[in-house]
Amino acid sequence: MQTTVQPTIALPQSESRFSTFLKAFRKSRTGVVGFWMIVVVVIIAIFAPLIAPYEQRASASTIESIYQPPSAQHWFGTDDAGQDVFSNFVYGARVSLIVGIFAALIAVLIGGSFGLIAGFFGGRLESSLMRFTDIMLVIPDLPLIVVIVALTKPSLFNIIFVIGLLGWTTTARVVRSQTLAVKSRKFVLRARAIGAGKAHIIVRHILPLVMPILVVQAVLVISLAILNESALSFIGLGDPTTLSWGQMLNFAFGRGATSTGAWWALFFPGFGIVWLVLGLTLFGQGLEQVLNPRLDTHHLMAGKPSLSKDALIKPLYPNTLVEVQNLSIHYVNEGKPPAKAVEDVSFTLKEGELLGLVGESGCGKTTLMLSLLRLLPSAGQIVNGKVFYKGKDLTALSEEELNDIRWRGISIVFQGAMNALNPVRTVGDQIAEAVVKHEPKFPKDKIPARVNQLLELVGIVDDQREHFPHQYSGGMRQRAMIAMALACNPDVIIADEPTTALDVMIQAQILELLDDLRKKLGLAVVFVTHDLGIVAELCDKVLVMYGGVTAEYADVDTIYNNPKHPYTQELLKAFPDLTKPKKKLSSIPGYPPRLDALPAGCRFAPRCPAAFDRCHTEQPALHSIGDNHIASCHLVEASK
Amino acid sequence: MNRSRILLNKAAWAIFTILFVILLNFFLFRVLPGDPARAGVRDPRLKAEAVEALRVRFGLDKPIINCFDSLNPIQIGDCGVNPLDTQFFIYVRNLLQGELGFSYHTNRPVAEVLAERLWNTVLLIGVGQILAIVLGMGFGIFAAWRARTSIDYVAVGTSLLLWSLPTFWLGILLLFWGSANGLPIAGKATPGMSSMPLLQQWGDIARHMFLPTLTYTIVFMGEYTLIMRSSLIDVLSEDYILTAKAKGLSAFQILKDHALKNAMLPLVTVIAINLGFTVAGAIQIESVFSWPGLGSAIFEAVVRRDYPILQGAFLLIAVAVILANFLADLTYSYLDPRVQAE
Repeated sequence: MQTTVQPTIALPQSESRFSTFLKAFRKSRTGVVGFWMIVVVVIIAIFAPLIAPYEQRASASTIESIYQPPSAQHWFGTDDAGQDVFSNFVYGARVSLIVGIFAALIAVLIGGSFGLIAGFFGGRLESSLMRFTDIMLVIPDLPLIVVIVALTKPSLFNIIFVIGLLGWTTTARVVRSQTLAVKSRKFVLRARAIGAGKAHIIVRHILPLVMPILVVQAVLVISLAILNESALSFIGLGDPTTLSWGQMLNFAFGRGATSTGAWWALFFPGFGIVWLVLGLTLFGQGLEQVLNPRLDTHHLMAGKPSLSKDALIKPLYPNTLVEVQNLSIHYVNEGKPPAKAVEDVSFTLKEGELLGLVGESGCGKTTLMLSLLRLLPSAGQIVNGKVFYKGKDLTALSEEELNDIRWRGISIVFQGAMNALNPVRTVGDQIAEAVVKHEPKFPKDKIPARVNQLLELVGIVDDQREHFPHQYSGGMRQRAMIAMALACNPDVIIADEPTTALDVMIQAQILELLDDLRKKLGLAVVFVTHDLGIVAELCDKVLVMYGGVTAEYADVDTIYNNPKHPYTQELLKAFPDLTKPKKKLSSIPGYPPRLDALPAGCRFAPRCPAAFDRCHTEQPALHSIGDNHIASCHLVEASK
Repeated sequence: MNRSRILLNKAAWAIFTILFVILLNFFLFRVLPGDPARAGVRDPRLKAEAVEALRVRFGLDKPIINCFDSLNPIQIGDCGVNPLDTQFFIYVRNLLQGELGFSYHTNRPVAEVLAERLWNTVLLIGVGQILAIVLGMGFGIFAAWRARTSIDYVAVGTSLLLWSLPTFWLGILLLFWGSANGLPIAGKATPGMSSMPLLQQWGDIARHMFLPTLTYTIVFMGEYTLIMRSSLIDVLSEDYILTAKAKGLSAFQILKDHALKNAMLPLVTVIAINLGFTVAGAIQIESVFSWPGLGSAIFEAVVRRDYPILQGAFLLIAVAVILANFLADLTYSYLDPRVQAE
């Protein structure tokens, strides 16, 4: 289902990969903050001898200097041996960084090679490697590290080695799935086809694409290694000859800092660990956001309020069910020009009427339909116009008031019913839910019978109410979706490309069914499609949309026999007509315009075979041609 | 594959992993140099009889497995060794009988020491884990629902900060705070409490549990918040949520009836994978607060070089984590109807 119009921005080719990365990374605030937090620690570590006021582990000679609170001489106070905590803190940064970086290097090297080999070669090798990874993933890390370090000498080298040796599992998994994804890309297949060696392909073609993920993993493993090292030191398994932050905490805690109230000896080393780990985490999040951008938007987020506040606008056609008046919808994203998804579209819908809404993908059809019930994604905003349902202004109602009209007044059959049904609830349950919501007085014990009746109406028999969506076939799911849409006897059904992705036979059945129901129940239907053939058979009226605007709007006979807009004419040429044999089918070259970068003149001009100068500079207005026939084209005006 | 085959498969893997851990545990303590019993055997100052006595005492006079004497794989083949009279076989046989050797420090059976402590750890982890999951889920749901608002940013920022805290350090800070406020900071019960009425004893244990549990909850809450948030945002951007919204359901109804169950599925897996970290947390927290559990048993064993305890504790923890993972798999397949698919 195309519920979001998120125009992607093509990156200019001239820029190098690195500078585009840098540009994207700078936008991630967390990433930049994390980066600078790490830089601070790195600077402290490198210039430790210049920064530290005292020698590393320089003990004072007198007993009085033990556990002195912070002062001008000892910024962070002194520890159990009378040593300057600040100086030890500064040198401790070195140890933490060294442990983190080298352990991560080992882990990423092992995990990376396991992942690459498993993903690239597949088969038995892959399954045994991944089984081994799974086993190692389950065995708890720290206890095993403790056991191994306790049995060997707790030197810094051993600690780094053991932490690295046990920290590779997640990396192996992540790299494997990335390798699998990359393996089947065109240029890798091409390299294989021309007989490049396997090692060559891995190193030259796959590794560069896996690299970014390796870097993210490395950042993560560094932070885990630092945490593990500090825990190990705290338990008493740190290297006694080097003073890491963890080791400082171990000494202070073990030698009465808590009982003497020497908080400084315990606070600052821990603060160093938190600072560095947090910096690494934020930095990793920033990298992740660049590699794998998440928009963090969803359907429950508050939408943007309608800008069309004029309460004086009244419906023009009081005897219609639905009236859309000059509706305009923009997608507003921070720092980008708005995407004008729908501009100035009007139509009406009477009882029992079937309106066809036609246009290629990306022409604003779904946006228009979702806006009727205010179901737009959070970036979508009604900037102008009104939607009336039985005289009520839907753009001005509260959410609660609108919830009463949703499904009971107007319901929707979404395209791609696989995803439109909740996979963990039975189909019958999801249908019953609508009944319970909108008809609270409906007797509970009769609901199963009602659901069965609805399912039978769409041709699902044998009591399959209790089945889950994945147990239905594609056609059945689409029918179930229709049954669900009918559950509360709505006045209007919006069918948003209900038959795409289904085979022709089932398409025909579903269309017939909708038409049947319309005649039987007196429903008004809006049928969204890019297939003019369907429209010809069923619809009363047709609205052709292009690039977010009305191209042409008329009854179905006029559209077929007297189309005025070149876009309608081109669409008809792409549709086989059985009554006129030997006509050549043609498709329209090119694509609909991007909605955030519309052409200056007519939106169809770049693809229009009849375009002339004016078309490229001036937007055509909607011209009325005859009774209930309008089109937006300069040619129409000229011929009047 | 049907559900029972999947479960059988998972069970087989759990058993295989446990066997792997047993092997690992056996060989680590024989290959790596630290064990004082073995070090004693190599001590040149001891007389031959004393060495022999030590070897017999710790069973080191027997071959390791079959002909692999002292892990020297040169004499392979029939060398007259009874495979039932090897160190490995004796180790496995003892394991099956629940014998894990004797503590070097107290000379008590390891199994007995660990059994006493196991329940304290289960109590601590159980309560802490439930609190962390409930609170983390609550904050995660709220943050996801209010995604990209200041509430969300605060929740994510705080969670990242909590994730970055070294567990033992947070424990130390809370210990400082607790001792200033008159809370018990060490052990499980006040000495002499056993003569008091039961209810009062429980109250005393609860007071002692407060700080360790608080530490545990804070450390693990952040991660659950983040996972719940991103999982819920994924679910809430699914098409079926739009369907639910179009049906006129309120935000609360959508969350309750359509989003939470789906969003919790990945959480089950993450909780299982996290159990390893959970144990790491328990070791640190128990060490800080002297909570008499498995974690502090490991801590004390390290300090006293009490290797049988260390070996037993590691085995027990690893097996517990593997079994818990298996349980999580069972839960997952129970929660997700798609697993039942032919």
